[in-house]
Amino acid sequence: MEASPSLPLDGVRVLEIGGGISAAFAARWLAGFGADVVRVEPDVESLSPDEAVYLLPGKRRVRADAAELAALARAADIIIEDGPPGVLAARGLDPAALRDERPALVVVSITPFGQDGPYAACPATNITAFAMGGIMSLTGMHQREPLVTGGSQALYLGGLDAAGAAVTAYFGALVHGEGDWVDISLQECMAGMLELYGPRGAYEGAVSIRSGNHVRALWGLYPCADGYAGVCALERQVPALFSLIGDPELDEPRFRDPLERPNHDDELQAKLYAWFGERTKAELLELGVRHRVPIGAVVTPLELLDNPALLERGFFDTVDTPAGQARIPGRPFLGLGWRPGALADPVPAAQILPRWSPRP
Amino acid sequence: MKRLPLEGIRVADLTMMWAGPYATRILAEMGAEVIKIESPRAWDNIRTLIPLPGVDEPWNSSYYFNDYNRDKKSLTLDLAHPLGRETFLRLVPHCDVVIENYRADVLDNLRLGYDVLRQARPDIILVSMAGYGKTGAERSHVGFGPIIEQMSGLASMTGYGDDGVPFKTGISYGDPVAGKAAAAAVALALIARRRTGRGACIDLAQREVLSSLIGEAFVAASLRGERPVHRGNRDPRWFAQGVYRCAGEEQWLAVTFRTRGEWERAAALLGIDPALPGGPADHDLIDARMSAALADRDPQDVFELLAGAGIPAGRVLDTVTIHEDPHLAARRYWVELPHPRMHPWKQPRTAWRLREADPWPRRHAPLFGEHNDEILRGLLGLTGEQVEELRREGVIGNAPVNPGVG
Repeated sequence: MEASPSLPLDGVRVLEIGGGISAAFAARWLAGFGADVVRVEPDVESLSPDEAVYLLPGKRRVRADAAELAALARAADIIIEDGPPGVLAARGLDPAALRDERPALVVVSITPFGQDGPYAACPATNITAFAMGGIMSLTGMHQREPLVTGGSQALYLGGLDAAGAAVTAYFGALVHGEGDWVDISLQECMAGMLELYGPRGAYEGAVSIRSGNHVRALWGLYPCADGYAGVCALERQVPALFSLIGDPELDEPRFRDPLERPNHDDELQAKLYAWFGERTKAELLELGVRHRVPIGAVVTPLELLDNPALLERGFFDTVDTPAGQARIPGRPFLGLGWRPGALADPVPAAQILPRWSPRP
Repeated sequence: MKRLPLEGIRVADLTMMWAGPYATRILAEMGAEVIKIESPRAWDNIRTLIPLPGVDEPWNSSYYFNDYNRDKKSLTLDLAHPLGRETFLRLVPHCDVVIENYRADVLDNLRLGYDVLRQARPDIILVSMAGYGKTGAERSHVGFGPIIEQMSGLASMTGYGDDGVPFKTGISYGDPVAGKAAAAAVALALIARRRTGRGACIDLAQREVLSSLIGEAFVAASLRGERPVHRGNRDPRWFAQGVYRCAGEEQWLAVTFRTRGEWERAAALLGIDPALPGGPADHDLIDARMSAALADRDPQDVFELLAGAGIPAGRVLDTVTIHEDPHLAARRYWVELPHPRMHPWKQPRTAWRLREADPWPRRHAPLFGEHNDEILRGLLGLTGEQVEELRREGVIGNAPVNPGVG
């Protein structure tokens, strides 16, 4: 393995405009991989203080007027923005016009519903976007209302897709000489990740209803002695799981036969409730790895800060903040150069522009 | 026609299940030639996970498999057989990328680790996407999406709040999230290769990618020792929000009132009393009044009413209604591709909508071993006799050996 690989995006200029979670997360990854990211400070900061500590390290933050913004845009290789459709154009930065001037430019726009179509102008928040993406209909108990997944997943997914699309379009620009204007819709980020349920709905016209923590007994989450733990067993892993549980009834055909088993799911769930309930998360994880059964435990971010595997793999970056040193998820994967960043105060754009000469 | 960004890139795809195939579906749609490699003895499980009843060759007729593997080519190779391994190593020099989502030790056990691949092609890019990565104390753990979600910290943040129970997301959420990140890793490694001439060995842990989507929770934990609080569908940054049942079978609407003003405007539009006594019970009152007002109303009508007034709203689109959404239709989001064994169905395009290059799914998922001849004879130049030997030895095939359920 090579020692400290170089930064893949060294020297690439990225302009972040809008500054919500989506654009800020995409640009954070680009900054970590070496890009020179300039974040145009929004008039009203929408990030919470904790989000800012996570999403802003490694970026230069600037206050820019319209003329300075235009100059920054002319100097950028990649622009990532998450304002409503048309806002960039209203500020004199119509992406299509910018692309006409400079074919190698990559613009990535992230909006709830995309740049066109009947809902393009509709506002959204994390939960309303999550609802329109379909995942929410599958999440939570069927006896209760659908449940939004924790954090701000719809907004982060937009950023994740934007980051991937940005570097892919940039690679295209390097190879073919032409960038693109990428139109990321939060709804579309999610509508294409509905596992088997999306294709089932499309192919059979059959709707799948949220199933809480138990898609079935062997694909579920259970209370255990010190929290919650889960199992996801494919058919090939069922024998190992059953022998681990050690209940002789599990040898009977109603549990062994994959076609019979669904008819006895409640009974099987009861056995798993009992088995999980007597064991701790650590015991269950150890049993899972030893017997090659997919078992997991619900852990909090606080617990993960001390996770030996994450520490050994150097997952966390540290960031100095006025409230002390924060530890945040760092490089998303190993194998390419990554640079942890520090938090910086906003500066006038005039300080940046001399180093950001217009790109030809 | 404008070229796609990954035109000219060839990918040897060893991935199975969902996370890896999700990544390579994106790569294929971005223009890469993706060669999906399966063994007749160890095929992609997704092919046979939920067989359609009464069809011939169920492994070729799965909507689950076909949705996530379109635009790819299918080559069968048993990598555990010496001839399969040798043939694979003849393919590697023709490829820019090898991608796999085996358990951490499998590729090395097949004697196909990065150092071996690099001998076959010095600038090869290897992307591995094991659940917990290739190194570290948890590398031997086995996990699928929901397990990854539990181990990432995310599941601890999801819950109704009144019962203390953490919840899983209704899909194997860790999989496509890792898939999107792996596709991004490929592009970054290609950029790096173009600059340095060197390949890369990417070690992506699915759990770590998912933890990256809750970064602020790590800030709260490390600065203040905070544990997640289950807030159900509420969000303290807004005045109020919730999910309310509407008319129809399991039809729901999510609404956010970012400000008191939005609540009052919505109340006027819906004929609700906007007055609130002030205090912690206000949100419960809003929820009760919204529930009563929406119970008999059509979710699409209320969505359009509120969204048209600039108030964030979203139908909880289910796995059928999402395919009927007029907006996604207007966006040409769904495509129907002819398939030799199945009737057409609406498949999602990639979310990476390049407006100018306009990537478009080209072809249905390959039948098992469909491109064996094209790749073995056409690309690798094997003779008919050599291909026949591979077939005789069971290294390649046109059907899985002993396919059962799962």
